[in-house]
Amino acid sequence: MSAVSVPSSVFDRLLSNEEGSASRNFFLSALWWSLWGMGAGMLGGIEFSMPDLVHNVSQLAFPHLRMFHVNAVAIGWLSMGYVGSMFHMVPTLCKTKLWSERLGNFTMWAWNILMAAAMATLLNGNTEGREYAELGAVIDVIVMVGLIATALNIYMTILDRKVKKLYVSLWYFLGSLFWFPLVYIIGQRTFVSLPGLNDAIVGWFYGHNILGMWFTTVGVGMMYYLLPRLTGAPLYSHGLSMLGFWGIALFYAPTGTHHILQSPVPEWLKAIAVISSIFLLVPVLTVLTNFFMTMKGRWGMVVTDMPLRFAVTSSMFYLVTCVQGPFQATRWVNWYLHFTQWVVGHAHLALLGTFSFILTSSFYYSMPRLTGREWHSQGLIRAHYWLKFLGFLLMMTVLTIAGLIQAAGWQLGYPVDQWSLAIRPYYFLRAISGVMIVTGQCLFAYNVWKTLYTPVAGATVAAGKTKEVKV
Amino acid sequence: MYGYRLGAIGIVCTFFIIIFSTVLMPMVLFNPKPSQHGNTYEKTTLADAPRGRQVFVREGCFYCHTQFNRLQDRGYGPLVKAGDYVYEAPHQLGTARTGPDLTNEGGRFPSEWQKAHLINPRAVKPGSIMPSFAHLSNQDMNDLVAYIQSLGDNRKPSAYVEAPDEYMATTEAGRKLIARKTVDTNSSAAANAGRGIYTQNCAACHGLEARGNGPNSISLEKKPANLTRPFYKQYSDEMYFYRLTEGVTGTRMPRFGEVLTEEQRWYLVAYLKTLQKDKEDTVDSLAQIDKVEDIKLPVLSHQEYEPHAGQ
Repeated sequence: MSAVSVPSSVFDRLLSNEEGSASRNFFLSALWWSLWGMGAGMLGGIEFSMPDLVHNVSQLAFPHLRMFHVNAVAIGWLSMGYVGSMFHMVPTLCKTKLWSERLGNFTMWAWNILMAAAMATLLNGNTEGREYAELGAVIDVIVMVGLIATALNIYMTILDRKVKKLYVSLWYFLGSLFWFPLVYIIGQRTFVSLPGLNDAIVGWFYGHNILGMWFTTVGVGMMYYLLPRLTGAPLYSHGLSMLGFWGIALFYAPTGTHHILQSPVPEWLKAIAVISSIFLLVPVLTVLTNFFMTMKGRWGMVVTDMPLRFAVTSSMFYLVTCVQGPFQATRWVNWYLHFTQWVVGHAHLALLGTFSFILTSSFYYSMPRLTGREWHSQGLIRAHYWLKFLGFLLMMTVLTIAGLIQAAGWQLGYPVDQWSLAIRPYYFLRAISGVMIVTGQCLFAYNVWKTLYTPVAGATVAAGKTKEVKV
Repeated sequence: MYGYRLGAIGIVCTFFIIIFSTVLMPMVLFNPKPSQHGNTYEKTTLADAPRGRQVFVREGCFYCHTQFNRLQDRGYGPLVKAGDYVYEAPHQLGTARTGPDLTNEGGRFPSEWQKAHLINPRAVKPGSIMPSFAHLSNQDMNDLVAYIQSLGDNRKPSAYVEAPDEYMATTEAGRKLIARKTVDTNSSAAANAGRGIYTQNCAACHGLEARGNGPNSISLEKKPANLTRPFYKQYSDEMYFYRLTEGVTGTRMPRFGEVLTEEQRWYLVAYLKTLQKDKEDTVDSLAQIDKVEDIKLPVLSHQEYEPHAGQ
């Protein structure tokens, strides 16, 4: 895999057939878009404290930054990183090669082009005006091409497998790559115009299932792959993992309406959403029991093993987010907390705390195995961890407090002007947390740069890393 | 091998059942009729409101401003119903309230104020964290103002804000209060008496014409209510009396229960009831909006706006 193959033509350069190149390129693209996406989030956060910082530049007004932030971290950083991880994990689990590296690299280019187009359009306000589905029709089509090409590649790789049994991670990846393209087609509503509330129902079906049928399922699949490999321990229970998989498949999809519990949509739909939200506790606790029992007796390993530390932190945040979620979806808690910054904190807990951390773990684990190079600096990895971890904890805490202040404000009938003054200090702290997280991500990028693009003598290439621990 | 095929069929079936029940079934079963209260975007009032809606979508206003109010949202106007949203595509229900709800925003402020607020939010609303939209073209801004002024325009109250129980006939205290009431709040004589009390006690903030623009309003962060809005027609006598007696939490509206006698307050209620217009008339002509271009409002600090804050 680290064998040097000199690219012979421009075609080979652009669509490399080298083993592992698609996965590596996806990881690097994900990192590139994460810098833009998180940077946009940070600038937006700073604008809450300094609203006149950017004046008369429509591209940098908060709403445009927010659209780009959400799409860049969701479709750019997380999704591209997920595809990169799958391109590495699925061939390893199947003990075979990726079906087509060329197709993988083609997908990577398509995805990068769509992200560049998304950046150009969203920052200029060319939006469909649907939250999480802002991308225009042409970009939607490219996303679908990317997703279908990825699904084809992964499915064909799994058909080519040399082992008979499918590991649970593969179940999650197979399911996600079937669900998510469908969720995307339905949820984008690209060529349809539905009446307001129906539009909202489909919109939140999509808004929640991009999380439930893609970020959660692939992320949990990655955790199932990484924890046994990093600790060297076998998975605690295969039966539990199957129960968790089918639980998520059943209970996640209908929960979307809990985002509009207090709007005039049908009550039966709200009831379905609330009940399945609460039932989600079952698969979540099953999955986490499995993880924590796998970790049993090996918790000390997080001191030295940085990818494992990211993965374990991720599973801890998964526990918190998935206990928060079902309770927020119940009517009486939702009545109090809806529309507040608490919800923003919860969304960051899921996407930044849980799934960004597991993706970072996968990045740190996979990159040496894809390129055969050891990390340039362990110290930088530690700095990345602590900046991201502490920055995120600060963000989570201040958004939760700000949300409670807002909720109490409405409860007491205070006008918006009053509580918006009261939560200004928390917005300021949130801006600081954003700076911390983006600094961490920049250190991460610098570390990757130094690792991959400084010439090394052949002796330091970590040949031992390419050997895999059997799960 | 059979086990895997069964699993794959399971994945496909569960997913399609869920899509059927939560996406397709609502499309068929949930078709609210237009309620006549929602905005149809047909009539153009002072500028192009439908185009203003596109500007609203393009600028992403809905990330911070919601467009549905809930039972617990006191002071956000009449509750929404399912039929109000039939013409809203894409929906602008919103997701978080970093700023106020806009369901019934139309007519809450004059158009000039709305436009100045878009150009420099902190000039007219100190402490606001809304970004400036000075980068919009003049036409975009006029259309956006027209759209904002059309929000909730057609909405009739379907649920009323009511005073707490101790002011209502449902409790012993409320019955005693009503028994003590000697003023006929529907008579023009009582309203005439209330007018004098209004001029002495209320006009400094609410203005002589009760448009919420009295001289003191300049220095208030939370602006006084515009009592000529049709919205206030829904207020019952008891609700007016409660507001007068206990003031409004979080604003500078004082507790007039400690200043005026009960009789004086009832006279005042009789006067306030006569103020509402049939239609929001703060929406002005296009020529009037354009005037705001030349006004350069000073950016004042919190201290300068509220010199006595905290004293």
